[in-house]
Amino acid sequence: MNLIEILSYGFIQRALLAGTLIAVLCSVLGVFLVLRRLSLIGDGLAHVTFGSTAIALAFKFYSAASLLVSLPVVLLASLGILKLTEKARLSGDAAIGIVSAFGISTGIMLASVGGGYNVDLLSYLFGNILSISREEVLIAVALFCVVMILLSLFFNDLLAITFNEELARVSGVRTGLINAVLVMLTALSVVLAMKLVGIMLISSLLILPAVSALQLARSFKACIALAALQGCCSVIAGIFVSFLTNLPTSATIVMINLLFFGGACLARRLRTPKNSN
Amino acid sequence: MRWVAIAGILTLAVFLLVGCSREKSEPTAKLQVVTTLFPLYDFSRIIGGDRAQVSMLLPPGMEPHSFEPKPNDIIRISKAGLFIYTSPYMEPWAATIIKGIDNQILRVVDAGQGIRYLITAPDSEEHDHGGHGRAMDPHVWLDFANAGLIVDSILSGFVVADPPGAVLYRNNANALKTRLADLDRRYREALATCATRVFLHGGHYTFGYLARRYGLEYHSLSGVSSESEPSAARMAAMVRQIRSSGVRHLFAEELLSPRLTETLASETGVSVLKLHGAHNLGREDFQRRVDFISLMDQNLINLKKGLACRQR
Repeated sequence: MNLIEILSYGFIQRALLAGTLIAVLCSVLGVFLVLRRLSLIGDGLAHVTFGSTAIALAFKFYSAASLLVSLPVVLLASLGILKLTEKARLSGDAAIGIVSAFGISTGIMLASVGGGYNVDLLSYLFGNILSISREEVLIAVALFCVVMILLSLFFNDLLAITFNEELARVSGVRTGLINAVLVMLTALSVVLAMKLVGIMLISSLLILPAVSALQLARSFKACIALAALQGCCSVIAGIFVSFLTNLPTSATIVMINLLFFGGACLARRLRTPKNSN
Repeated sequence: MRWVAIAGILTLAVFLLVGCSREKSEPTAKLQVVTTLFPLYDFSRIIGGDRAQVSMLLPPGMEPHSFEPKPNDIIRISKAGLFIYTSPYMEPWAATIIKGIDNQILRVVDAGQGIRYLITAPDSEEHDHGGHGRAMDPHVWLDFANAGLIVDSILSGFVVADPPGAVLYRNNANALKTRLADLDRRYREALATCATRVFLHGGHYTFGYLARRYGLEYHSLSGVSSESEPSAARMAAMVRQIRSSGVRHLFAEELLSPRLTETLASETGVSVLKLHGAHNLGREDFQRRVDFISLMDQNLINLKKGLACRQR
């Protein structure tokens, strides 16, 4: 099986294109989220999406129309996580846990009392990186542009609140707004991207490239660049490895990210003694 | 504002809950029968006729694997006279539920008894890949001879649980078996004339029994387990198989998301036809009281189209 032949399949081309865009997007967002101790927000918001899809189906909104319900609900849930950390003084993981439990129990409750559905809910909820349609590639491109433009507009403020929120507030950064922008961009990405590539890939791409980059990077910008690079490489490598070894693609990408993380840890250990001498 | 919205959703959920749990009180003279999957439910309600009150545990639309019983379900089973399930492969939760039920009169029918379960063959073209593995295929009712055996098992359960109704149950069961035999004949005649014997399914392994009975060559994109996902290589192999076999139609399963099937279809320029696995129904079909045999006749129409059989 040669490279040209692999690339001749349309679904591989779309997986490479949309997959790398989503990977870069998640990796960059992930750096901020990991440093803000909101690493598991992807999983949490996915559970809320499950709940909100159940609500959408209860009102007979299917597939694309269900986004009309899911999107606002998940955006609200992401703000809810933020409010819980600020007002109830909860740590990020506890706040995510609460919202996530609420989302999944709402879904299960509605699934049981609503007398069932016309389709299997879970099978419609999550996409697969190998089944991205042409329209969905456009969605991925648009999402990538929106998130990247907003992130670069707010970059300095995001940087300031990520490292010292108190200091940022004192020096005039509107921390409330910036926090809200960050979690809402995450919510938007999770809702749209999980329909494209599935939740396992999203939540691992929000964490693993960021933590690997944090092992190695010496500046914040380098960290973001490294994370984006890892996310991008892992998707490309994952698709080809999945082709050659016949392993499920998403799981392969996650494993490659774990390898990168192991490598980053090792590289730091090798580097540290040299630096201290 | 957020909290108002959340409170609103919660209130709605509670209302729905209360509204739905208020069940009509049924006269208890009838034999109470609880079934797990749709074919068992359908056969039981035909056999039981007016003497039995038959219900299905699985909510419409749900995959059997993702089922979790509600307190009402447990109460229903603990008051029932008959509990019917197929196998530990399809409903692994059934045995767990039954263990926890304290009900002296309950008879449990394993409707899959006496049926020879097939081991799904890993797909045998080109690289023999490990992604599939061998697994027990639980969709036994799609072989209509097996469906007849299921009817026999259910009948013997009914007769033991309610001996005075034995004659009625036997007559109903015999009528049902005749209809299943007719269905089998319709399939055999229709599928004997097909231009292609290659039956390609862009989803989980489901129709192996049906294909084997009528001599079709069945290939599915992924294995029996609903958790398994195809690899990029498997997708590409399926694309090559569709192209080389020259089929014009690819099959997808009702109730499940056809995403992967549609990806394969758009890659190869073939169209997608739906087939029903019949383990469960969508809610609207359930409310319209669609039965197993009409589902299978619908499948036959799509199979004839997809395999280019001579229409009569």
